[in-house]
Amino acid sequence: MTVQRRNNVHVTGSGPTTMVFAHGFGCDQNMWRFLAPRFSEQFTVVAFDLVGSGHSDLAAYDYAKYDSLAGYADDLIEIVDEFANGPVIFVGHSVGAMIGVLADLKGPQRFKAHIMVGPSPSFINDGDYVGGFNRSDIDSLLETLEGNYLGWSSTMAPAIMGAPSQPDLSDELSNSFCATDPDIAKHFARVTFLADHRREVAELQTRALLIQCSEDLLAPLSVGQYLKEHMPNATLAVVENVGHCPHMSAPGLSTDAMNAFISTL
Amino acid sequence: MDHLPSPADLYEDAPCGLLVTDRDGTIQRVNRTMGSWTGYRPDELIGRTVQSLMTMGARIFHQTHWAPLLQLQGSVSEVKLDIIHRDGQVKPVMVNAIRRTENGFVRHELAMFMAQERHLYERELVASRKRAEQILQKEREAQAALAATEEALNLERDRARDRAAFAEQLIGIVSHDLRNPLAAIAMSTALIGSDPLTSRQKRSLQTIGSAAGRATHLIADLLDYTRTRLGTGVSAVLAECDLHQLVAGGLDELRTVFPLHALIHQRTGAGSGMFDAHRIVQLLGNLVSNAATHGAPSAPITITSRTDAVESGLSVHNMGPAIPMAQRPQLFEAMTRGASVSDRATHSVGLGLFIAREIVRAHGGTMTVSSTTDTGTTFSATFPQERRPLG
Repeated sequence: MTVQRRNNVHVTGSGPTTMVFAHGFGCDQNMWRFLAPRFSEQFTVVAFDLVGSGHSDLAAYDYAKYDSLAGYADDLIEIVDEFANGPVIFVGHSVGAMIGVLADLKGPQRFKAHIMVGPSPSFINDGDYVGGFNRSDIDSLLETLEGNYLGWSSTMAPAIMGAPSQPDLSDELSNSFCATDPDIAKHFARVTFLADHRREVAELQTRALLIQCSEDLLAPLSVGQYLKEHMPNATLAVVENVGHCPHMSAPGLSTDAMNAFISTL
Repeated sequence: MDHLPSPADLYEDAPCGLLVTDRDGTIQRVNRTMGSWTGYRPDELIGRTVQSLMTMGARIFHQTHWAPLLQLQGSVSEVKLDIIHRDGQVKPVMVNAIRRTENGFVRHELAMFMAQERHLYERELVASRKRAEQILQKEREAQAALAATEEALNLERDRARDRAAFAEQLIGIVSHDLRNPLAAIAMSTALIGSDPLTSRQKRSLQTIGSAAGRATHLIADLLDYTRTRLGTGVSAVLAECDLHQLVAGGLDELRTVFPLHALIHQRTGAGSGMFDAHRIVQLLGNLVSNAATHGAPSAPITITSRTDAVESGLSVHNMGPAIPMAQRPQLFEAMTRGASVSDRATHSVGLGLFIAREIVRAHGGTMTVSSTTDTGTTFSATFPQERRPLG
């Protein structure tokens, strides 16, 4: 099993610096399709699917290995070592950003900088810390995932007659984006939403940009504030956007924030 | 067409909840049906987000799954989630959604359908599926256990095969490397015996001859026993021969082995029949050896060979104590007679009678014993004249 096949790694663009894009919980690397191409003229762009998502090798999904984000961090290190040239700017969305933090702390100086899109070190409220969710909310999510268990494949196929055509989207893509094995989805949900990496983010010495949406259910502003205060070397940029995916719904603003940060590196 | 509802009424009271939201999910239009399902007036819902009507799990699912999907794909269908009624009641619904862009503005059009019954049914399906998966898992575990057992068995079989191969090698060593020197000893003994010797030398020579003879028999028995254990068994190749002559020849040799006993040969009938000559001599040797070992010391041993139209037989009789009743059932089993301390002194390994019975069986015959203090002990082999050889 090659790393390329396992993580469905795609390398585009060229440049002395490599940007590595990691998606978050839910979909796959196609989430970056409105953002990553904007960087491929100046950078080598590496995008991949987390094992268990998209077109990764589902057979490689080892429930023990991926029972914590550390398993994904090990994969990321292998991807960086094999595909990245020169300095590496890691761009991670949501849980993907946390995987980048763990990978950075594992290895010596692999990453020049982190761009963390909608990150959250811990989703569960804990004392003064407001992650935004309770345990019962996570159970509710697992139930919703379960509810879409039977129809998960049809849910993900565009089936409504008369839907506006989407020239962007190939058929091949529409069937895999957001679709995965339901058991893996539930396991990944549990690992993602019950992870607590507040200690690790505080140890990250590498420079980091936090891209925070003005209104985000999964990563509320309070979480962005928390990260800015607790991370030794982080800058916070708030992007006007409702939702958890500014790289999709506000790619222009996101790109501006990223470029401003990159120019200071 | 008066009886048909106006498009406006059709929209408001459609048998599904209909909503139009902006790209962020803020409700811009909503029909009465949706209002009644959620316990709000439509105007109360305008300006709220559709997400605010959902359970937390559904909201996360919306953010992580169907909002990105809707953007990339333009539509989603049959998403199942829970909405919350004003009174707190949770209701399962199915949602179809389309994303439209007009004049640069993005809007989402949603249709919701109650899925209460369907929800219950799906729960059942999911539960059944889980049960089936559990059964499958158990089945897999059982298969794995079976495979592990089979592997252990294969390993054991391989080991057994190795042991068997080793045993066969041993047979080769025993038969070849030990028989040859014994044959040399026997021949040399005979050669020395033809020269004039002192009486002391003669006795020593007799002892040598006797010991060599016993060793030869013992090796033959060991070989046969090993073959039996390996499953190849004792075989007999039958040929027309004279039983009396075979016995007489065998006794000549045995007299040098058991010089303390008189070996008396009695013959009845013509003597001809189908026998494995080598095996009959071996059988005779084993029975005589048994008699010499367990019978009265220095008492004569009577060997009877007989043939008639129906059957033939070979019996060996000795005087001496009767075989205890308790020993008789296992008499012909390997290594039973030699197990007692007194027998160990005779260096018998208890194979003689076992091999004897195997030889008789290979001839299609039966082996019997009678033993009393008064009449002594007689081992009798009986062979049918019309016989199908075994083994």
